[in-house]
Amino acid sequence: MSPQLFFLLASILFSIGLVGLVSRKNLFVLYMSIELMLSSVNLLLATFSKVLGDAGGSVIALLIIAVIAAEAALFLAMTVHIYRNNRTVDSDHFDKLREEAHNA
Amino acid sequence: MLEISIFTILATFMLGGSIAMISNKQTLFSAFGFLVAMIGLAGMFALLDSRFLAIAQIMVSVGAVVVLSMLTILTVNAKNENLPDEPHKYKWILFSSFLVLPFTLLMYKSTTALYQSFSSMEAISSKVVGKLLFSEWVLPFEIVSILLLAAMVGAVVIARKERRKKERRKSKERP
Repeated sequence: MSPQLFFLLASILFSIGLVGLVSRKNLFVLYMSIELMLSSVNLLLATFSKVLGDAGGSVIALLIIAVIAAEAALFLAMTVHIYRNNRTVDSDHFDKLREEAHNA
Repeated sequence: MLEISIFTILATFMLGGSIAMISNKQTLFSAFGFLVAMIGLAGMFALLDSRFLAIAQIMVSVGAVVVLSMLTILTVNAKNENLPDEPHKYKWILFSSFLVLPFTLLMYKSTTALYQSFSSMEAISSKVVGKLLFSEWVLPFEIVSILLLAAMVGAVVIARKERRKKERRKSKERP
C-alpha cells in the first residue's frame, strides 16, 4: 500500500470540489463543494501524518473538522436568511450590494 | 491486497458521491452524494490508521454537518422554479474540468515527489493524539472553541434577524 493512491484521490477530490464551485449556481451545492475541498485537505493531512509517523497531522485534521462544523452553521444560517428574503437559492441573484452601490 | 481492494471500493464510493453531488439538479440528491463521500472519507481515515479522526469524522461531518445541511435543504424546500436555471451545466462542468486538470496533475506530482512510502509505524493511537492536542496544540484548540462559540452566536443572529425587524414593524403599525 503506497501513499501515491491517497495523494491521487485527495487531488481528484479537491479538483471536483473546485469544478463544482465554479460551474454550479445552487447555493447548497456551492457549500458542499467547499466542504469537499476542505475534506480532501483533511485526507491529505491524515496521509502525511501516516507517512511521517507523526500524530501532528491528525491533530490539525481534527481542528479542521471543528472549523468545518463552524462553517456549516454559519453558511446554512446565511442561506436560510437569504432564501427568506429572495425566495431563491440561485447565487446569481445575490448582487444586492452591487446594485445599491450602482444606484448611489 | 486486502487494503488495496478496500481502498478501491471506498475511492469508488467517494468519487461517485462527489460527482453525483456536483451534477445533480435536485439539491437533496446532491446532499446524499455528499453523505456517501463523507462516509467514504471516514473509511479512508480508518484505512490510514487514524482511528480517532475516523470516529470524529463520522460524528461531526456525517452526524452533524450533513444532517444539518439536509435538514436545511428540507426546511427551505425549494421548488423546481425556485432552483437556479442551469441550461449549460454539463458544458460548464466539462470546461472547468479541463481547466482544472493541469492543477490536479501538478498537485499529484508535487505530493508524490515528496514522499514515496509509508513509515513503518503502528496505528496513530487516540492516546498520542489526545496528549498532543492538550500539550503542543492547546492554543489552536482554545481558539477553535472560541470560533465555535462565535459561529453559534452568529448563526442564531443571522437566522433570526429578519423576523425581529418584521415584528417591530408590525408592532409599530398597530398603534
